[in-house]
Amino acid sequence: MIGVSLPLTGDFSEPGKGVERGYKAWAKIVNDKGGLLGRKVELKILDDQSNADRVVSDYEQLIGRDEVDLVFGPFSTRLVVPSARVAEEYGMLFVEPAGAAPEVFDQGFKNLFYAAPAVANDHYNHLADYLLALPANERPKTVAYAAMDDPFAQGTAYGLKEKLEKGGVKTVVDEVYPPNTTDFGSIAAKIADSKADMVVGGSQYQDGVNLIVALQQLDYQPKMAAFSTAPTEPEFAKAIGNKTEGILAPTGYTQKADYPSNKEFVEKYTKQFGKAPEEDEANAYTTGQVVAAAVEAADCASQDPECQSKLVDWLRGNEVETVVGPLKWDDKGRPQSAHMIQQWIDGEIQIVLPEAQKEADLVHPKPAW
Amino acid sequence: MPSASLVFQSVVLGVLLGGLYALLAAGLTLYFGVMRVVMIAHSAFLILAAYLAWYAHRETGIDPLLTLVVTVPLFFAAGVAMQRLLLTRLRPATLTMMSVLLTFSVALTIEGLLGYAFSGTQRRIRLGYSSAGFEFLGARIAAVKLIAFGMAALALLGLYVLMKHSRFGQALRATIQHREAAQLLGIDTDRIAGYGFGLGLATAAVGGTALALDTTIYPSLHWHWIGPLMAIIVVGGLGSVPGAAIAAMTLGMLQSLLQLELSTTWAQTVFYVALFATLAFRPQGFFGGRLAQRF
Repeated sequence: MIGVSLPLTGDFSEPGKGVERGYKAWAKIVNDKGGLLGRKVELKILDDQSNADRVVSDYEQLIGRDEVDLVFGPFSTRLVVPSARVAEEYGMLFVEPAGAAPEVFDQGFKNLFYAAPAVANDHYNHLADYLLALPANERPKTVAYAAMDDPFAQGTAYGLKEKLEKGGVKTVVDEVYPPNTTDFGSIAAKIADSKADMVVGGSQYQDGVNLIVALQQLDYQPKMAAFSTAPTEPEFAKAIGNKTEGILAPTGYTQKADYPSNKEFVEKYTKQFGKAPEEDEANAYTTGQVVAAAVEAADCASQDPECQSKLVDWLRGNEVETVVGPLKWDDKGRPQSAHMIQQWIDGEIQIVLPEAQKEADLVHPKPAW
Repeated sequence: MPSASLVFQSVVLGVLLGGLYALLAAGLTLYFGVMRVVMIAHSAFLILAAYLAWYAHRETGIDPLLTLVVTVPLFFAAGVAMQRLLLTRLRPATLTMMSVLLTFSVALTIEGLLGYAFSGTQRRIRLGYSSAGFEFLGARIAAVKLIAFGMAALALLGLYVLMKHSRFGQALRATIQHREAAQLLGIDTDRIAGYGFGLGLATAAVGGTALALDTTIYPSLHWHWIGPLMAIIVVGGLGSVPGAAIAAMTLGMLQSLLQLELSTTWAQTVFYVALFATLAFRPQGFFGGRLAQRF
């Protein structure tokens, strides 16, 4: 039995439900093949209402009273940190699908592993490399940054900012806005006024969309535009009226990725839920794959401290094949891969970086929006 | 130093924003003026109207503005019903306090039903002219923001004319000023209060539709709005519609200009700073005169 607490209601309910579907898809696929170590996988999922206090008591209950054999992580940095602390206290392995912010890895957790290709600050790495390799006359000279005051969203934008500044690219606007911001007119006005060559958004979904529309309303035409999260959501093009051409975004997952387990995942997930999986679902599924790999290698799955430490040790030293590619981790649980960069080209979002995985050439400068 | 063009652009944005705030706050101040009801659910009704506009647009493709033909009378009726069936049951002595609790639960109910019907997914009306705009003395004005501002201006003007120049408006103002005296003059104050509440909710239908033109909506969005709106009506002087309008314009403009030098987080706190300053130095409000005495 595996215990999970997820934000099924409240602020993070949308991604929370995505993660739930990912976990359920994983459990079904594993059980259809006869389970883990010959036992049927059973998920015990509690709802923490996106509340950091609830998530703590949920994991206390799962580990202490329900005596689950294993735990999976919840969604979002804000919930991962407190719940990881509980798991650490009980000495349980803690693989999580959605805590990518630097602060997750600064807490000294010894049992935590992030089941995705890269932490927030590394999301734009391929783009940074690409930009800095451009000839000086094509490289953007000025960049405007706007990021949500959220460890994950801000981390993505600041990872790129740091690298570009080091490479001599000037920052002309650096705005941070609270998560509840509804009006982006003023931020957009500042960015448009700076006439920056490039705009970078450290965004989640809704703010990314609102900011892009506000920029378009001011007729600001940057040569490049990159936003995290929002452009990879299926609703994105509809939300901004298809004026998406040329927008860049980092992504940790694509349904088209060529990994063997991904093909199986996409096919079976689609059969189970009637639509193809997105990034949240994939990261949850990856979590399952990572834990399963450790369980099979260590040949045990129980709260027994010896077993749990075997699981942790194995993951520390090995690589796991997942739907987002092969993953391995450093001593703080940070995955050692990188995100792909996608771009909206001809009304479709396609991988443009890195070279090895690209489906299309990066369009630069981007067409007017 | 921000450039002159950026300052002007911010002023333009501030005016447009202030207009929308004025419309959204007008209903709130009306409820309080007429019957001392603190209507926490007002912003939930705004979001409900926004959802209805979005839903009608998605299902039939009609312009969201056309949904007003249905939502305005519907919200008016809902307001009358809410006042007659729920609020009149509260004891006058504890009306203000209990209305907070009652309307709080109405807000939660609306949020819950919206989540049930449309899920928590963030929605946005997809309009052909969403990102269209035009040049005005060097500043850009977005078409949707101008439309929302126009709706606010029309609705507030309509409200003003109705209050000043109709018999119903006179009766409503009399009820606001002195309920017993109004009754002595033969005004059915209960009925008038019901209509007053309906009128407030009808402004929420207009405001919500205006909001839907340019914002991404989701069921819990109303919690982000109720704070600033409450601040506006307190600063404006509870119960004064012109006071609320002036306060909304002033605070919208301040927010937009403060943004130039400070971060968004600080610019948003202007509402709460203004709220504190009002309560500390001028509890009757800065623009409205004596509490609820004037329209």
